[in-house]
Amino acid sequence: MHETDQHDLSDDADYAASQGLRSNLQKEAAKRSGPSETSGAEVVYQKDNVTIHPTQYASERISGRLRLIKQGSSLFMTWIPYKSSHTSNDVGQGSNARLFEKERNLYTIRAVPLTDVRSIRRHTPTLGWQYLIVVLSSGLAFPPLYFYNGGVKEFLATLKQHVFLGRSADDSNVFLVNDLQDPLQRSLSSLELPRVVSVANGTSSISASSVPSIEDSDKINGDNHVGSLRLSEYSGKQRQKSHDPRDLSIQVPSLPANAPDKGPGDTEKDLTEAPVASDPLEKTQCRKEKHGQEAATRVGTFELVDCKEFDRLSLVWGKPRQPPLGFEEWATFLDGEGRIMDSKALRKRIFYGGVEHSLRKEVWKVLLGFHAYDSTYAEREYLKSIKKAEYETIKSQWQSISPAQAKKFTKFRERKALIDKDVVRTDRSISFYDGDDNPNVTLLRDILLTYSFYNFDLGYCQGMSDLLSPILFVMECESESFWCFVALMERLGPNFNRDQNGMHSQLFALSKLVELLDIPLHNYLKQADCLNYFFCFRWILIQFKRELEYGMTMRLWEVLWTHYLSEHFHLYLSVAILKRHRKKIMGEQMDFDTLLKFINELSGHLDLDSALRDAEALCICAGENGAACIPPGTPPSLPVENGFLNSQQDDDD
Amino acid sequence: MASRRRMLLKVIILGDSGVGKTSLMNQYVNKKFSNQYKATIGADFLTKEVQFEDRLFTLQIWDTAGQERFQSLGVAFYRGADCCVLVYDVNVMKSFDDLNNWREEFLIQASPSDPENFPFVVLGNKIDVDGGNSRVVSEKKAKAWCASKGNIPYFETSAKEGFNVEAAFECIAKNALKNEPEEEIYLPDTIDVVGGGRQQRSSGCEC
Ligand SMILES: Nc1nc2c(ncn2[C@@H]2O[C@H](COP(=O)(O)OP(=O)(O)OP(=O)(O)O)[C@@H](O)[C@H]2O)c(=O)[nH]1
Ligand SMILES: [Mg+2]
Repeated sequence: MHETDQHDLSDDADYAASQGLRSNLQKEAAKRSGPSETSGAEVVYQKDNVTIHPTQYASERISGRLRLIKQGSSLFMTWIPYKSSHTSNDVGQGSNARLFEKERNLYTIRAVPLTDVRSIRRHTPTLGWQYLIVVLSSGLAFPPLYFYNGGVKEFLATLKQHVFLGRSADDSNVFLVNDLQDPLQRSLSSLELPRVVSVANGTSSISASSVPSIEDSDKINGDNHVGSLRLSEYSGKQRQKSHDPRDLSIQVPSLPANAPDKGPGDTEKDLTEAPVASDPLEKTQCRKEKHGQEAATRVGTFELVDCKEFDRLSLVWGKPRQPPLGFEEWATFLDGEGRIMDSKALRKRIFYGGVEHSLRKEVWKVLLGFHAYDSTYAEREYLKSIKKAEYETIKSQWQSISPAQAKKFTKFRERKALIDKDVVRTDRSISFYDGDDNPNVTLLRDILLTYSFYNFDLGYCQGMSDLLSPILFVMECESESFWCFVALMERLGPNFNRDQNGMHSQLFALSKLVELLDIPLHNYLKQADCLNYFFCFRWILIQFKRELEYGMTMRLWEVLWTHYLSEHFHLYLSVAILKRHRKKIMGEQMDFDTLLKFINELSGHLDLDSALRDAEALCICAGENGAACIPPGTPPSLPVENGFLNSQQDDDD
Repeated sequence: MASRRRMLLKVIILGDSGVGKTSLMNQYVNKKFSNQYKATIGADFLTKEVQFEDRLFTLQIWDTAGQERFQSLGVAFYRGADCCVLVYDVNVMKSFDDLNNWREEFLIQASPSDPENFPFVVLGNKIDVDGGNSRVVSEKKAKAWCASKGNIPYFETSAKEGFNVEAAFECIAKNALKNEPEEEIYLPDTIDVVGGGRQQRSSGCEC
């Protein structure tokens, strides 16, 4: 099943021609030991209005020109975004425009040799434009290239004439470039989530410094000869890196999907600690701090480029995670009276880096909606005091129930008993909650009981204590914790509905997203009768709380609460994690039981940062088609007026 | 393949939240008790190898969340069960009253081929609490209920102290074995191994 079906192209005239051409090219390349002396480069393909969508916002799309350039026996791909005029929409937003300009540079694809491309995936959405995702051998991928003016077919046909192009047997929309590795690896890699590490792609950086003229050439319309390019310096060099044993020492693979199979859970850790490269091809990623060495190793004759340069040029497809937002930077988001001036910019910032712990107390209240973004310091102080009084009033409702009254109030007793049982089973290993008679455990109890009176119809449900625990840990204040929890439950309340509709709609959406983003995995789960996705139930019910260590849970939650790329980013995160383990899931033919156990045991072994990056890439990649997978009203979308509260039936717990 | 299938015995533990399902399962499989188990979200299972009459079996013990709200998940987990364990807390009347609901819900969702004879085992847990002083469900009352439901075997346990847990699960495993599908039980060379497989379980479990 993993074999590349080469025959499906053999009746193709282009393909046949490219076969002959290819062997010539190989011979030629083999003869060459140094940079080619061939002069002149020829543009063999050119398409305008090929656009990337860095975010879901139409205003942030970047259009450019895609080219295939032939230099000697080598083929290169470039994508150069158009200049200035296209950013004029942003006039008046100085910082935005600058940001835009910066990102524009980041995304530029400067002369990537096709020998560095592993696969190209073609997407043909029913609505919208066709797009391609180009995945490099290193595992890096460029953002999807949307062909606004068509030309995908032509692009692939041109490629076929110049490089070996196979088709993945698993997915006929995946084209494997120069696919000479073992069949298993190649079909996996072609399907894999573009794995993006913070490594700057050596290729684009180097070409940027060695061929600065290519951008200028963009202005020379219609000139197919870009003689000043020194693209040929790549000939015969690409891919050698991965076979160089020296590389192994600096390659820290972060991708369990390709790891030799291990028991669930220990995969990522083991790999990070012991980068034993059984297949060097799969280990071409390295950690940020290794960029310099990576580049030096990779291109040998080129100068070592410093890390800063690499960062600037790194691909932004699944952007590198940033350090958490700190006090100083937070202050820059506020006006003199404490209003958040640009809430979107703030949410974006937090989406990419989270918040420093000491600042969470401030920021979470805003993210959760307890405080409005445009509230002033004074307004927030005022609200705080009112809400404190209000909390006390609600709390007194159950506090005033006498033992005699409680005897005749079964529902209250049962609810209280359930909460009592759960708070002593909640995060007791965290010092904040550990030990006998811990007052914080009592606070958890009081807040939950108060909430069950505040929202009597929803009441208390298991999982809520998990959701409250980090909030109380951060707020350290009973009434503020309560109101933040109320705000969170506005989003997640339907997870606990008696009819479980909130959970079912999310699991349904998840299955649709996997179908969209990983058809082979979807098909596998379908035939294994796992499409109910119950094995992801815990992930979704309590937002990965049981899967991550405490600090990472807080990091994830603030990222999710930004609702920056999607309100349902947790679903993309779920897809990303499943994709990371797809090889094991499918390879071992896991049935429902085994899969559930496997997923449960991933707990404590997830690498949040890379999962977030994958999820970001998937979310952007899925675009509107992804959003269309998610039925309206799916939590944590804010419920429509008169939503879930009324749908509750009489308490049965 | 067929023999592998025969080796696996699937057991489901049901009962109200907090009665000690997770604790019982861990006491039986890992021989330990912790005060730090978290409330179960979703479902999980543990496996344990057991031996009967020279044959090895894998006991797959499913632990599900006790809160009623999560019952709609049940159908995915109950399917193919060979035995269902109903747990209540001898100190909590409601957990005993709810046994009937749990039993019926299981029969509906798992829809075993022969519901009349599907093996259940009832455990009254936490008998250690307060030296038995806070107990509200008597052994007599529990046994009467079990008798009325087709002589369900009954055990009193303490997951905390490990009391009677081993014995209870031995009985559970034996009953699960009895429930093995006929086509596999009645393979030519295994015809009489389990004594007919559908005998009436008389009073309790004779293990
Ligand atoms: N004293 C005593 N406490 C027990 C015993 N078994 C369980 N517990 C305690 O009862 C509480 C609930 O136990 P769990 O095993 O988590 O209960 P559960 O039935 O799995 O609950 P859910 O997962 O919520 O459905 C925990 O605090 C346990 O420590 C027991 O035999 N004796
Ligand atoms: Mg449990």
